[in-house]
Amino acid sequence: MRRMDAVTVSGLRKTYGKTVAVDGLDLRVKAGQVFGMLGPNGAGKTTTVEILVGLRTRDAGEVSVLGMDPAREGREVRSRIGVQLQARGLYPRLTVKEIVTLFASFYDRALPVDEVIEQVGLTAKARTVVRALSGGQAQRLGVALAMINDADLVFLDEPTTGLDPQARRGLWDVIRGIRSRGKTVFLTTHYMDEAERLCDNVAVVDHGKIIAFGSPSDLISEHFEEQAIEFSNSVSRDREKFEKLPGVTRARLSENAATLYTRDVPATMTALMQLATGDDIHIDDVVVRRATLEDVFLKLTGRRIRE
Amino acid sequence: MRTFWQLVLANARDIGRDKMSLFWFLAFPVLFILLFGFIFSNEGTPTYDVGIVYNSGNPLADGLVKGVSAVPVFKVHTGDREGELQALKKGKRSLVVEALSPSFATMAGGDPLKVQVYYNETQPTARQVLLPVMEQLLSEAERRMTGRPKVFDLVAEPVQSSDLRMVDFLLAGILAMALMQLGLFGAMRAVSLREQKILKSLGATPLRRSLLLVSEVVVRIGMALIQTFLIVLIGYAVFHVKILGSWLALLGAVLLGALTFVSMGYMLAAFPRTEEAGIGLVQMVQFPMMFLSGIFFPVEIMPSFLRPVVNAMPLSYLADLLRQIMVAAPPEYSIATDIAVLGGWAMASFVVAARFWRWE
Ligand SMILES: Nc1ncnc2c1ncn2[C@@H]1O[C@H](COP(=O)(O)OP(=O)(O)O)[C@@H](O)[C@H]1O
Ligand SMILES: [Mg+2]
Repeated sequence: MRRMDAVTVSGLRKTYGKTVAVDGLDLRVKAGQVFGMLGPNGAGKTTTVEILVGLRTRDAGEVSVLGMDPAREGREVRSRIGVQLQARGLYPRLTVKEIVTLFASFYDRALPVDEVIEQVGLTAKARTVVRALSGGQAQRLGVALAMINDADLVFLDEPTTGLDPQARRGLWDVIRGIRSRGKTVFLTTHYMDEAERLCDNVAVVDHGKIIAFGSPSDLISEHFEEQAIEFSNSVSRDREKFEKLPGVTRARLSENAATLYTRDVPATMTALMQLATGDDIHIDDVVVRRATLEDVFLKLTGRRIRE
Repeated sequence: MRTFWQLVLANARDIGRDKMSLFWFLAFPVLFILLFGFIFSNEGTPTYDVGIVYNSGNPLADGLVKGVSAVPVFKVHTGDREGELQALKKGKRSLVVEALSPSFATMAGGDPLKVQVYYNETQPTARQVLLPVMEQLLSEAERRMTGRPKVFDLVAEPVQSSDLRMVDFLLAGILAMALMQLGLFGAMRAVSLREQKILKSLGATPLRRSLLLVSEVVVRIGMALIQTFLIVLIGYAVFHVKILGSWLALLGAVLLGALTFVSMGYMLAAFPRTEEAGIGLVQMVQFPMMFLSGIFFPVEIMPSFLRPVVNAMPLSYLADLLRQIMVAAPPEYSIATDIAVLGGWAMASFVVAARFWRWE
């Protein structure tokens, strides 16, 4: 019972008029994990979350959240989960503490208000009205409201969007804290590094479909044995020339940068340097790195995740 | 229950910290009462200055002074003929009366005693109202002197309240208006909660939406009671308006009125997407009601083609009901009609609101 799937979705579909927001989605979220739904804007992440928490109806497919169907048992589902919506609003003239206290009153098993405020690092702002919070503070208040119910499953829709790097890292710690208490986290993001570092499992979505599913490291090694060499390049548009270099499997050229995926970093680097001196190609800011989820997304869709 | 009170508290705080809405809710009706109250309270019962030419040696002059002074609306001045006529010309007197010295013929018992009355022709009230009063006064005096028995005895008895002043009339109307604005504009808060996605946030919790709605309505009713208290208090303290009807009836009428307009407000709130559009819509509804339902102008002076409009407006009935209860004003409609029409509006609005309501 404890280790059953927290969320299962199969064949989920949702259209708005002619827009297909979710196009036959299958998901499985194991209990006790941080699960990440990763995809660009408009991929259908918010729509999926709102269907899972019973805020929207679905057109087709099967959905189970903690063993229940949110379309039929929405209130019961919502009483056993915590939710942070991406598009949300709060009474502007209430203080942080008043809002969290109000939300705590909605649940039978609520955590102590001050403790939750402390966990998201808003203790100093407890008496500040919502209106006066910065974007990052409002975002953390949203997470606090999702955490106030002592629930087994927490939905966070793009919890770190718009935060500065430091605030994002702070929120990652909060999310890891939720997992360490044995809870399941379902989060959406369009940050690759976030998915890679934070999530146990990731579903990469695009245009309402899953294009890859698995743990971040599995996903990367499944798609890339190679490492990536990146450099700025504003001269050569000749992809074939780069792909002929030793060890290189694929080359990507963008406006002023190039990425070479290689099985043999030293061999490729040596050849690249020769090319640079001989052909008069200007190469700068060279970085060697492992492939990332960004590379996976690029490979699968031909686009970067954030345009 | 804990959830419910938390919601009520949250609403009350959110509204209470909004300076603008506090102004409309508390200061605005009070300013209205003070403004209109002072404008109309000067206009109490009119008095007329009556000058009596007092020439000593005329036995009738004393009797005249006594008789005229007994009429409450007359303020008696005495003086010589020249002076009083001068005052009449300057508009300081409405009427100047002079008992002419009895002539020889009179002494002989032939001609009647002559009482000369001067009035200012440019003042129509003098001729239309004061002359008949004087005449009445004299014939009464004559009857007493001759000892003729009275054939008719006019017994005047007010059927309505003591005397209804303009302020009494206005106070109840302004209370009705305040309740209307509270209900209509108050419901626009729901549009703003929807527009700001606050309803959506609450929708992601197990909170029952009906509970949310009830808590909003309860806060509105609470505000209605505060408003009523304030308006009645100011009416009493500043303008000495006493509540003639029972407090229970007043409470009932206020609750019914508040419910009706809250209900109407939610009906109007069902349609607009933004609070701004909603306020525009409410203005379109509340302005005609404010001016056409007999709060500031009596319904009688309105052209007859507007009567059907007046008769359709719930505010006409709430104002009428409150006037009857608070200051025992003469009824425009019967109390039963008032209650039925208000109840009907409340129900109809509720049905429309429930049918077209959107949470997001
Ligand atoms: N209420 C709506 N009405 C019409 N189209 C919508 C609505 N909500 C979302 N969409 C569309 O559905 C698609 C998926 O949106 P969304 O689920 O918000 O994606 P994401 O959260 O991944 O950015 C987008 O093309 C969006 O424009
Ligand atoms: Mg989204």
